Amino acid sequence: MSGKTSLLSLRLIMTGLFLLMILLFVADLLLGSTHLAAGDVIKSLFGHGTPHGEIIVMQFRLPKALTAIIAGAAMSISGLLMQTLFRNPLAGPDVLGVSSGAGLGVALTVLTITPLFSFTQGSPLQDWSLILAAWAGAGAVMMIIMAVSARMRDIMTVLIVGLLLASAISAVVSLLQYFSNEAMLKTYVIWTMGNLGNMSYTQIRTLTAATLTGMVLAFVMIKPLNAMLMGETFSRTVGVNMKMTRIILLASASILAGSVTAFCGPLAFIGVAVPHITRIIFGTTDHRTLMPGVALSGAVILLISDMLSTLPGGGQIIPVNTVTSLIGIPVVLWIIIGRTGLGRKF
Amino acid sequence: MDNYRQDRAWEEILMRTGNIIAETVDLAIGYKTQGKSTIVMDHLSLTAHRGELVALIGRNGTGKSTLLRTMVVLQPALHGTVRLQGQEINTIKSSGLPKIVSFTSTEPIALRNIKVREVVALGRFPYTNWIGSLSADDEKSVSDALEVTGLLALADRNIDNISDGERQRTLIARSLAQDTDLLIMDEPTAFLDLPSRYSIVGLLRKLTREKDKCVIYSTHDLDTAINEADRIWLMTETGICEGAPEDLMLSGMLAKAFESPLLSFSQTGGTFSFVREKLAPISLEGTGVVRKLTERALRRCGYRIEQDADLKVTVNDAAESTEWILINGLHKEHYASLYNLISHLPAEALD
Repeated sequence: MSGKTSLLSLRLIMTGLFLLMILLFVADLLLGSTHLAAGDVIKSLFGHGTPHGEIIVMQFRLPKALTAIIAGAAMSISGLLMQTLFRNPLAGPDVLGVSSGAGLGVALTVLTITPLFSFTQGSPLQDWSLILAAWAGAGAVMMIIMAVSARMRDIMTVLIVGLLLASAISAVVSLLQYFSNEAMLKTYVIWTMGNLGNMSYTQIRTLTAATLTGMVLAFVMIKPLNAMLMGETFSRTVGVNMKMTRIILLASASILAGSVTAFCGPLAFIGVAVPHITRIIFGTTDHRTLMPGVALSGAVILLISDMLSTLPGGGQIIPVNTVTSLIGIPVVLWIIIGRTGLGRKF
Repeated sequence: MDNYRQDRAWEEILMRTGNIIAETVDLAIGYKTQGKSTIVMDHLSLTAHRGELVALIGRNGTGKSTLLRTMVVLQPALHGTVRLQGQEINTIKSSGLPKIVSFTSTEPIALRNIKVREVVALGRFPYTNWIGSLSADDEKSVSDALEVTGLLALADRNIDNISDGERQRTLIARSLAQDTDLLIMDEPTAFLDLPSRYSIVGLLRKLTREKDKCVIYSTHDLDTAINEADRIWLMTETGICEGAPEDLMLSGMLAKAFESPLLSFSQTGGTFSFVREKLAPISLEGTGVVRKLTERALRRCGYRIEQDADLKVTVNDAAESTEWILINGLHKEHYASLYNLISHLPAEALD
C-alpha cells in the first residue's frame, strides 16, 4: 500500500518536472538580452513575426533553448552512469577529466585537422568528425579512470587521477594552441567557455541523433545499474555480465558527454551535481526513476542557467559555464563536507 | 538393531532422492593472476545437504572466502569441480546459476536513499524483465522474505536508519527473495554484537528447518557454529574435515585447528581458555553457583584448586550476604566481593 503511494508521488514529481521544463523552455524563448514582446515571439515561431523578431527567435533563442534541453539531459545522464559505474558519488564528466578528454579531441580537430581540410567547413562531415574526436577523447579518459578505479578503492585517489589527467590534457592543448593561428585559437577559446548558442539546426539534429544513441544505451542498462548499486560481487552472482555492462556504460557515458562537449564546450558541474539533486528530489536510488528524472532535472537546470547567463535587459551574455559552476560547486562541496562518511555514500 | 537398519534405509532413500545439494570434488582453490595460479587449498571433497546449516570455520588466511567464492563461480576452480544440485558449475548457464545458488558477501551497501524493501526486491533480479519491474509473484516473494526475516515493520525504512543486525537481515532477506535452495554467505555475523550474532545464526537455522534450504556460511564465531550448525566444514592449514560439531570435538580436530601455546580447548565444552603456565595450588570450600564462580575467578588468576593447600578460601554463603574467607597460614581475612578477595591474594601467583 505504501509502495503504491510512493509510486504515485514519484509520478507526480516526474510530471511536475516535465511541466516545469516546458514552462522554462517557453520562458527561455520569451526572455533574452534583447527585449521582444511575447506576442512577437509566438508569431515568430509560426513564421508570422517581424523580420527582426523572427531572426532572434528562430536563429538564436529556439536553437539555444533546444540545445539547453538536450545538453542538460545528456550531461546529467552521463554523470549518473559514471557515479554508479565507478561507485563514486563525486564522479562526473568534468570532474574526472572526461570533458577534458573530449576537449582534446575537439582541440586536435579544430586546431590541426580542420585547417588542413578546409573543404569540410560548415558541412555535417565536420560536425561528425568533431563528435567522433570528442567521443574518442572522452572514451580514452574513461578507460584510464576505469583502470584506476579497479585498482584503487579510494574515491579520492580516483578524483586526483582525474584532476591530473585534466591538467595533463590542458598542457597538451596549450601546446597545440601555441602552434595554431589566431582565428583557430579564438574559435577554440570561445568553445572552452561553454556556449549553448551558435548552433545551426543541422548541428542540433546531429547532436540529437548522437545523444539519443547514448540515451538508448543508458536506458537499456537500467536493470544492471540497479544491481550494481549493491556492488560487483552481488551483480555477478545474480547474473550480470559485468564486462559487457561496463563496456556499454562506458560507451554510453562517453557518447553523451563527448557529443555535448563537442558542440557546447565543457559544461561544468552539471554532470556531477544533477544526479544528486535528482536523488534528493525523488528520494530514491532506483535508476528506473532516476534515469528520466535526471534527464528532466538536467534540462531544467541548464535552461535556468541559460536564462541567468543572458541577463534580461542587460544586453550582456556571460558564459553559461560560469552559471553552471555557481550552481554545481555548492552541491559538490556539500557532498564532500556536509554529509557523513565524506561523500562515500550516495 | 532394528533402529539402526531403519536409519540406514532412510539415509539411502535420502541419498537417492538427491538430498545432496552441493559438493566439491577434489577441488583446488586459489588465485589465478596472469596465467600463474596460486593454490590456497587442495583436494577439497565436501558435501552439504538440503535442510542443513553448514558452518565453515577456520583461522584467518585458510581460504574460507576463496572456497565460498569458488562455489558460486566468482573465482575459477584451479582443479577438480563443484557440483550444485548434481550439475557441474561449469556446465550451468550464467543465467541459470542465480536460480540455484545465492551469495551474500561482506560488501557494504554504500547507499542512503534506498529502502529495505528495495534492497530485498533486487534479489528478484534473475526473474524480472529487462527494466526490473516486479510481477505479482515477485512482490509475494519479497513480502515472504521480509516476513521470515522479521523485517516487515522496517520495510519502508531507509537502509541508513536501521541497525547493523537489521542490515544483515536485509541482506539475508535479499538472498531469500532470490528463491534458491542453496544460500551461501560469507561472514554474515561479522561486526555484530553477541545477541545479534545469535539471532542471525538462529534465523539461518530457521530457514533450513522451515524452508528446507541449505545454508553454508563462513564465520569466526566458533560459539554459535558449535551450538547451532548441523555440520561443520573445518579448514586447517593442512586440509579440511567435515562432520557434526561433536564429531570434530571428539576427533580432536577442532582443538588442533585452533589451539596455540596460549590457548587450550575444552573438548566437552567447546570453549577456549588461556593457558596459565605457573599454577599455584589453593584449596576451596563452598557449594553452588558461588563456588563455581569463585573457582573461575581463581583459575583466571593463575591458581589450581587442590585439596589441603596452604592457601585456603572458604565461601560463606549466607542468605543476606556472601563473604569469602582467605586463610593464609595464621592470617585470616574476610572479603565482601570476589574482586576484593582477588586483589588480596599473594602477589607471586598472579601473572
